[in-house]
Amino acid sequence: MVLDASPRLDLVFHALAHPARRAIIRQLSGGERNLSELAAPLSMTFPAATKHVRVLEQARLVRRRVAGREHLCRLQAKPLKEAMQWTEQFRRNWEVRFEALDSLLEEMKAEEETPHRRR
Amino acid sequence: MNTTKDMQLSTPTDTTIVITRSFDAPPRLVWAAMFTPEKMRRWMLPPPGWTISALECQVCVGGALALAWKSAEADPAMTLRGVFTEVVLHERAVHTEIMAMGTGQVVGSLVEQHEFREQGGATAMRITQTYASKEARDGAMASGMDEGMEACYKQLDSVLAS
Repeated sequence: MVLDASPRLDLVFHALAHPARRAIIRQLSGGERNLSELAAPLSMTFPAATKHVRVLEQARLVRRRVAGREHLCRLQAKPLKEAMQWTEQFRRNWEVRFEALDSLLEEMKAEEETPHRRR
Repeated sequence: MNTTKDMQLSTPTDTTIVITRSFDAPPRLVWAAMFTPEKMRRWMLPPPGWTISALECQVCVGGALALAWKSAEADPAMTLRGVFTEVVLHERAVHTEIMAMGTGQVVGSLVEQHEFREQGGATAMRITQTYASKEARDGAMASGMDEGMEACYKQLDSVLAS
């Protein structure tokens, strides 16, 4: 078991841990949005939405650009994809252990049925 | 051979991971495979280059769970220590778990619950891991992804498939 996850991935998981930020990501998956558009469906004040966007920016999940008076946010898919793959790997590690358990259990069952012979 | 048996992984709360899996054996045997040291060695696969140097598991209330791994560089390279806090034979076991580096630096802790339910000769198992915080839970989720470990598991896959 290796427990030192990359610091950047920690930021990604931290960013994904809040439902408001997951909601922002969902919105951004539909394309570029400004901060007001992101804040409105969450019934959030502008500064509160800005705070969440900042966490997403730190995790490099979101890139923000200023166009005139507007702050436009865009989703950066790569770190998100990376995080998904890592979660997938956690699942895979368990699956492989369970597959080893399956074959062990087959042996144990066979031993019970024919106590003096192994399968 | 069907090897997936519908493993499900979910995160029902911010601090938990739930893993469910069924096994084609009665709970009595799954229990023995999960909690008997010489059986545990068969499925608790160490990362490449590591071996399990100590394994203790006394599945009774107050009983110890202790594992140590060693590598060419360190002995121990990592340790896991815990205590069983609830045990209902062949049905339910709860234990604490503290992982530490060989130097003693603690890298994570959790509470793990195993539940086994008989289903027509087979067993439905549910593992619930509870972490101290969301960050700890997410970190644990991210920790299983070492590339070397993956290579090791791929190797095991081919052994199992043969």
